[in-house]
Amino acid sequence: MSSPDRDAPGRERWYESKRFRRFRRNPLAWAGVVILLFFAGLAVLAPALTADRLPRGCLRDLGLVRSEARTALRTPANPAFWRATFAPPASCYKIPRVSYSPVPKPPRAKYPLGIASGGYDIYYGIVWGARTSFYIGVLVVGIVLVIATVVGGLAGLFGGWLDNLLMRLVDVVYSIPGLVLAMVFASIFGRGLIKTMIAIALVAWPIYARMLRGNILQVKAQDYISAAHAVGAGHLRLFFKHILPNAIGPMIILASLDIGAIVITASTLAFLGLGADVGYADWGQMISFARSWISNPGGEPLKYWFVWFWPSMAIALFVLGWNLLGDAVRDALDPRSR
Amino acid sequence: MLNFIVRRLLQIPVVLFVLSLIIMGLMQLLSPEQRAAAFVTSDKQIENLDLIIEKYHLREGFFVQYKLWAGEVIRGNLGFSRISKEPVLTTIQKRFPASMELALAAFVPIVLVGVWLGTQAATHRDGLLDQVLRVVAIVGWSLPTFVVAIWLVAWVYGGLGWFGIGRLPGSLLIELAGSDFRKYTGLFTVDGLLNGRLDIALEALKRLVLPAAALVIVVSAGIMRVMRSSMLDELGKDYVRTARAKGLAEKTVVYKHARRNALIPVITMAGPMLGRMIGGIVVIELIFNFPGLGEWAAGAALQLDVTTLLAFVMLIGLIMAVANLLVDVAYVVVDPRIRYE
Repeated sequence: MSSPDRDAPGRERWYESKRFRRFRRNPLAWAGVVILLFFAGLAVLAPALTADRLPRGCLRDLGLVRSEARTALRTPANPAFWRATFAPPASCYKIPRVSYSPVPKPPRAKYPLGIASGGYDIYYGIVWGARTSFYIGVLVVGIVLVIATVVGGLAGLFGGWLDNLLMRLVDVVYSIPGLVLAMVFASIFGRGLIKTMIAIALVAWPIYARMLRGNILQVKAQDYISAAHAVGAGHLRLFFKHILPNAIGPMIILASLDIGAIVITASTLAFLGLGADVGYADWGQMISFARSWISNPGGEPLKYWFVWFWPSMAIALFVLGWNLLGDAVRDALDPRSR
Repeated sequence: MLNFIVRRLLQIPVVLFVLSLIIMGLMQLLSPEQRAAAFVTSDKQIENLDLIIEKYHLREGFFVQYKLWAGEVIRGNLGFSRISKEPVLTTIQKRFPASMELALAAFVPIVLVGVWLGTQAATHRDGLLDQVLRVVAIVGWSLPTFVVAIWLVAWVYGGLGWFGIGRLPGSLLIELAGSDFRKYTGLFTVDGLLNGRLDIALEALKRLVLPAAALVIVVSAGIMRVMRSSMLDELGKDYVRTARAKGLAEKTVVYKHARRNALIPVITMAGPMLGRMIGGIVVIELIFNFPGLGEWAAGAALQLDVTTLLAFVMLIGLIMAVANLLVDVAYVVVDPRIRYE
């Protein structure tokens, strides 16, 4: 028990709130959390999990020799462990190639998930692909939030013709199917992970800009804003200290829960060949490696099941995890939706 | 009403104008040489890139280029598609029926499955069926279209050997090219029937099953969720209680009274649903080897064929705008309480 004067009567902590209780009692929410924790584990422990098969460039950039990599990357006492876990060089995201053979090889002890067409180690791609997926999700949401805050903020704050103009822009971008527009943008920007992420963000922001504008208009009508204005708060202070902090919350929550949809778009673009560079650990691209081995290759149906099975399961589960979590949070925030 | 429709129709060119401005603006990020590549139609012309840059004023500023492009478009010339090696409009005319056929084949089952499952979930609220359908909807919503398509191709087509991919078997296509098979609509299922060629209609239908199924799995989940919540809303209303009180059978109450009203919010979903379908069709056509607009556009995106991409986005923008207008009109027809004046 904390002292009563610190906790005002009737004030509850977040984990005692009704919303959190609703969330906690939802088994689907827990399923989502477990799935995401699994992928987070894969992502964080990627260097340790793949210590015995890191590509040569990655080892060089980490300053390790192959013989010592396995122990170094699995002992937390070693500085290389922390470097590889939290700031791995870009070369570690390249899937090592076992051979250059176009024919996939079935799973065996050293390569438990098999080898894809082109000699790519599927296990390595799945583990580091989890990192790529989180990276894409978080970064795209970040860019989307920045664009949406600028556009929605300007529209909500100034109103008038600017509001009208920006909201029409929102309507136009929103009226085109996201994947189609993202495909065109990605094509113009060219290949590369960062470029793809910018293309996706340029398509995903409108709905959040509109949401933020609505919230700002709502907050602006509150009495405490007029009060702050009356005591002489300037426009900037009013906006950044009073309006924005009170309006931005729902947008941030809903946008972060949209990572599932973002990863769908990103993996689809990668599958089409508009994603990261060839050989980058990315699930969508791994499925595109599998393209010619899907339907009845060489008269032996399902012989090369592993080339498409693992990456497609990884994408589906990852997105499912986010959507289960997102659904549960939306239910908890708005119980009427159940 | 007429006023409203005219106003909305007048907005469509504005939307297309803004869209073309955005895309042309982004294209300024490309070098003149890259943009010139879009006009190359033969190997010979690659050597004369400078001439092309000169001819199409590709070194000029954005406004000059935009004016040139817009002038051509207004005259009805959407440009030359490098990917299909023919004018963009010709390709659109050729490939549109294929995509149309796929969209139509998927549309009806999507709506039926979504509405039916949504009704079932609502009438069994919080029961086992509802819980199961809830999970099914989230799973369906979480599956990327290309993943579903690949599973279907690998398991059902590759593994079980059922149905087929492509629009028609190659042998039939060759036979059709030589015969006097008349293309009334461009849809092989309909044309097959009209020409009295039942085998063609059946073959075409067989090959539509898997791509349509992929779309149904991915898109109907959204309809189901909207249907469920709107059905729950209706079932809680007074007129439903009255209907029950006067002793009507539960079936009549649910299917005749509640469901008809519950369908209204589902109409609103038509716009976003069409958007999801179009995105899905692009990928599905690629995986199922279906020679439609999506496959063409995906190829263009990969090869940076800017003329084709611009035309494709304009076409999709037009389709979406018309669809959204139709949705708003349908809304008034179905629910006379709504007025737009």
